[in-house]
Amino acid sequence: MTALELISLINQLLFIGLFGVVLWQALRRRTRASWNTAMLLGAVAAAVALSRVAVWFDIAGEPFVTSLTLVLLSAVPFAMLRLVGDFSGSPRWVQAAGAFAFLALALTFIALRELTTPLMIATIAFFLAVGGYAAIAFAMESRRAHGITRRRMTAVALGAALFIAAIVDLFIGVLVEPLGPILSLIAQLLALAAVLSFFLGFAPPAWIRRAWREPDLRRFLERSVHLAGVADEHAALTELERAAAAAFGASGASIGLADEGRRIIRYALPAGGWDEFADDAYIGGRAFSEQRRLVVHNAPEADPDHAVAYEEAGAHTVIAAPITTDDRRTGVLTVYAERAPIFVEDDLWLLELLAAQTGLLLDARTLTAHASELRAREEATRLKEEFLSAAAHDLRTPLTVVLGQAELMERRAIRNPGRPVDEAGLARIVREARRLRDLIAALLDAQRLEDGRAVLDRSPADVCQVVQAVRERNGANGVEIGVRCPVEPLVSAVDRPRIEQVLDNLVENAIKYGPAGGPQIELTRADGYARIAVIDHGVGIPEAERERIFERFYRASNAQDVTDTGLGLGLYICRRIVDEHDGLIRHDETPGGGSTFVIDLPLDPRAATAETAEPMAEREPPHRITGQAVADA
Amino acid sequence: MPDLRVLIVDDEPDIRATVSAMLEIEGYAVAEAANGADALAAVEIDPPDVILLDMRMPVLDGWAFAAEMRRRNHAIPIVVMTAARDAARWAGEVAAAAYVAKPFGYDDLIAAVEQASPA
Repeated sequence: MTALELISLINQLLFIGLFGVVLWQALRRRTRASWNTAMLLGAVAAAVALSRVAVWFDIAGEPFVTSLTLVLLSAVPFAMLRLVGDFSGSPRWVQAAGAFAFLALALTFIALRELTTPLMIATIAFFLAVGGYAAIAFAMESRRAHGITRRRMTAVALGAALFIAAIVDLFIGVLVEPLGPILSLIAQLLALAAVLSFFLGFAPPAWIRRAWREPDLRRFLERSVHLAGVADEHAALTELERAAAAAFGASGASIGLADEGRRIIRYALPAGGWDEFADDAYIGGRAFSEQRRLVVHNAPEADPDHAVAYEEAGAHTVIAAPITTDDRRTGVLTVYAERAPIFVEDDLWLLELLAAQTGLLLDARTLTAHASELRAREEATRLKEEFLSAAAHDLRTPLTVVLGQAELMERRAIRNPGRPVDEAGLARIVREARRLRDLIAALLDAQRLEDGRAVLDRSPADVCQVVQAVRERNGANGVEIGVRCPVEPLVSAVDRPRIEQVLDNLVENAIKYGPAGGPQIELTRADGYARIAVIDHGVGIPEAERERIFERFYRASNAQDVTDTGLGLGLYICRRIVDEHDGLIRHDETPGGGSTFVIDLPLDPRAATAETAEPMAEREPPHRITGQAVADA
Repeated sequence: MPDLRVLIVDDEPDIRATVSAMLEIEGYAVAEAANGADALAAVEIDPPDVILLDMRMPVLDGWAFAAEMRRRNHAIPIVVMTAARDAARWAGEVAAAAYVAKPFGYDDLIAAVEQASPA
């Protein structure tokens, strides 16, 4: 036996061995794709076996042997076309033409019993055409798919290309006689490589499947750990769905979250938002309600109510497994593909694994959410306690005076019944009791604002009119405020009493911490906002503290030098009210010293048209200056 | 407890007035200061027997005042008088002889001052 013969023998044994493996798989898992794979490898193996038997019985070259070999080989393109249909889909006429061509060729070979040159050229052309078609179809499928499916399709596309190469090689061998033996050996090796590629692609053994799936599976696990900490539930789920689809090499996956109370399952829509279905709708719902894994090969047929949805999603074959954690029915994991053979033998096992992992992730997410909710609640409690303790502190001082003075009066009245009333003491009681009342009002206000229920009725108003109302009220109390408004009205949707409260507060501060006389209020339009500036020339606020003065209970250090009676709530209340108007409040230094509080309130976008329809007659161009003259800044 | 002199340090005039009136009924001689700085000056001119000290005050607060008193080796007993919840702790911080928490009544105040008064 020459070396060439030995290689040839080993080669032939391999062909037969691979066929044996594939046949065994097909018998165990009887699907169309596995039978077609068995047919493909079987045809080659049979032809190879026949040639070996012919040598033994010395009938090689007999016309019927040649015919039978050719008939067997014609089954190769036929099987290949059927596999294209299985894995990437092909028009019905292609399948029919393939079957017809196979029959025609087989009958011709049997009838003619001799290979004429035209017939041979026609046969080779047919083989090349089918091989090329298959190679292109599988290559395209490989580009479309991902994960293990991409690798499988790449292998079979390579197999089809090697098949073409083997045919071309044989053809050249026939044409160029002296090279015959060596080219025949190369053809055999190419054919073996092709068959091996088909074997790996169409019926990958378990260890190949594991190796090919490993990177995507690893990615899934890594993502699932990472996603436990991602706050956006929608983003986390859609990303995990992508990772699950990739791990299967499937076209898509979806994770349904069960709401047992409402008996629904909700799914994150890829385009954003959620969709809800009854918890037994779709195949996923069935897997959930029956609490078992499901494999459906023809989803539109099995669940005709949702046939359109399956067709649109390219979900022909669907596998689904319930997600359960600690005996709690959390949801369902569904993976789908256009064609059944995409899924391989152990995919159901993998599906359950991924469902379990998804369950762990969902649990972790729930725990994380609970933990942060708890932290937020603790923080809220802490703030409330701080508030109560500060409030109690500020109430104690006036209460000491009221209590102490009342006790003094009581003692005096007992010792000296005829003595006139201590007027100074009474005045103290009244003053401090009033202070208590104001403190309580401010505390309640601050608490209401903290809960976000103080600003209620917002309606469009000319901010200038609001400012004028504040000026008039203060004027009646002997405080002169200079007001400057632009000609055009500045309309903002405001809770008027609340905005007046803000301005009153700022005016009061200006008087308390400023020189004699009231502040100046200037109104301007500023980029979509009505800007109110309350300007005083008082003690101002140290630059380092300007950010903090709007905090609850914060009092500027120099404010404490002036008086210690403030609660540190006034500016906090102002900020909250302005916040609730979607506005901004800040402190600027008045040029030359003092404070300027700037409030920006968003202009009402509808106001422009409303105002032109209803011109305000009483406006005095160009500037409406009332009250105190504009301060020289 | 006649002839003992008490210095009241509090930034609230109404508190000072109320406390003064109570102590005067009990026969104490009373002086007032609006903050720690004024109180230090008063101590230098005419040292009292007891100091009634508010803690949170502008200019110089109770802690700074007490530290300065120690630095100057004045050993006048202090009664801390505060609206804070942790009055006892603050009293410990300035080594006060007694404390009284606002809002206090007549008897509370007198008891605290008597406790701090030199025998």
